[in-house]
Amino acid sequence: MAVEVNQSSKETIIEQREKEEEQLWSWGAGTDGQLGTARLQDEHLPQLLNLPSLSSAGPVSILACGGAHVVALTYGGKVLTWGRGNSGQLGHGEMVNTLLAPKPVMSLESYFITQVSAGWSHSGFVSDEGCAFTCGDGSFGQLGHGDYRSHCSPVKVSFFVNKHVEQIACGMRHSLVLLKDNSGNQLYGFGSGKRGQLGVPMDRIKSINTPQFTCGFDDVKIISIGANGDHSAALSAEGQLYIWGRGFGATSDFLIPQHIPSPLLSKAVLGWNHALILSDDGEVYMLGGSHHGVLSNPEKMNPSKHLSGNPFGKLKTRINLINYIASIRVDDHVYTLKLPQHKYNLFCFGETGAAVLERVPGLDGMKVVQIAAGAEHSAIITEDGVIKTWGWGEHGQLGLGSTCDQNIPQTVSLGHDIEHNDATFRVYCGSGFTYAIRTLCPPP
Amino acid sequence: MSYDDVEIEDMQWSDELQAYTYPCPCGDLFQITKEELKLGEEIARCPSCSLYITVIYNAEDFADDKSKSNLEPEKRQAVAVA
Ligand SMILES: [Zn+2]
Repeated sequence: MAVEVNQSSKETIIEQREKEEEQLWSWGAGTDGQLGTARLQDEHLPQLLNLPSLSSAGPVSILACGGAHVVALTYGGKVLTWGRGNSGQLGHGEMVNTLLAPKPVMSLESYFITQVSAGWSHSGFVSDEGCAFTCGDGSFGQLGHGDYRSHCSPVKVSFFVNKHVEQIACGMRHSLVLLKDNSGNQLYGFGSGKRGQLGVPMDRIKSINTPQFTCGFDDVKIISIGANGDHSAALSAEGQLYIWGRGFGATSDFLIPQHIPSPLLSKAVLGWNHALILSDDGEVYMLGGSHHGVLSNPEKMNPSKHLSGNPFGKLKTRINLINYIASIRVDDHVYTLKLPQHKYNLFCFGETGAAVLERVPGLDGMKVVQIAAGAEHSAIITEDGVIKTWGWGEHGQLGLGSTCDQNIPQTVSLGHDIEHNDATFRVYCGSGFTYAIRTLCPPP
Repeated sequence: MSYDDVEIEDMQWSDELQAYTYPCPCGDLFQITKEELKLGEEIARCPSCSLYITVIYNAEDFADDKSKSNLEPEKRQAVAVA
């Protein structure tokens, strides 16, 4: 998203892309039509899709996968959506329970859309002129229109009319917006802020229906943003990660953006309880993966949440954490803790234990080129075009032919006859489902 | 083990499902009815998967109807018979 496409080169790129052959597969939870298989059922193995309405719209540049819906953006700036639409998140002008096949969003036809995002039950779109549009569930103010109404057609967010929006990111009940070249007030949040996911310098606002300036980035240039569950993340131009919102694993919530010390990063993606981080040199790290790959196996779950070392007993109050200083109020006493930050991979300290930036096991010697995160599963692509998945597998979202969880990345087979040479692969995750795209590279 | 602890005020009432709901990572919704809350149930389950959450609520907030139903003994009896 950091790369800009100017008007004159746009046509060339579209022409080039149209010569490429593209194939899509999907797997995982499918009872809302989100897999595009024309069936309302889960799939445990990758399904090669036949989507004439999507292929005729041109090759896909972004596939945004939400709670149970999909928003596809083509290189030609067209948007198509399918899956669950009961909150208006598909943007077709009506609430539909399920839409089995991709359908163009007609009300965006007159715009050239450059970026899209899919949340739990809302969607966001950005046009080349820098306008932001939202539709779907607005009960938490996550559409940003100054009320709590839901919309079944994309509506321009009037707050940004005189500003140039570059990206939008939709989480479970909140949205983030990144402005272009606007140092200072470059990042905004709206919707539910209960876990600190808006990064607004107030104590735990429940929800806000107009965009609020996210604090903490005065001297930092942000190049990309992400939201999922109650988490928010931003990547700086220097390749550094900032995270706010719900804590990971046993750590407490981050009410303002927190810098996570790490190697130079190229990408970060969020699940509902974990973050995946791709370093500049192709290594993958995970934050808060204690449930990852053991969710359906209660005995195997990391018991750190219930360690007996917690002096406050079973706490229902959350801890505030700002700049490595945690404060907590218990029976009118305020306790503060200065937290250790000297350890490289120990980024903060929570109620009972440390959340650690861990290297994902089983990838030794493999260079990873792309990462994606569902609510409780993960997918990556190696430089050889191999797709690997791990995490929660109950709905077949790992595409391994079973419903088992995996705590080490496993190789997904798209079929025996699939050549990996002269093709590039991409992978995208929704809450409980996964998509893969294979694009044939034209001969040089 | 419970997937998450969720406060009742963070759950959404669904007229269609007649239940308080909260997003499940599978794509469906964790659900708990007012009747279940009245009985002191604190587990909200997802109809599509094995996960469940623990609902944090004040039992008294849902016991209100008790006094009301005491005023309507006939109705309560009818339910008990059914
Ligand atoms: Zn579920």
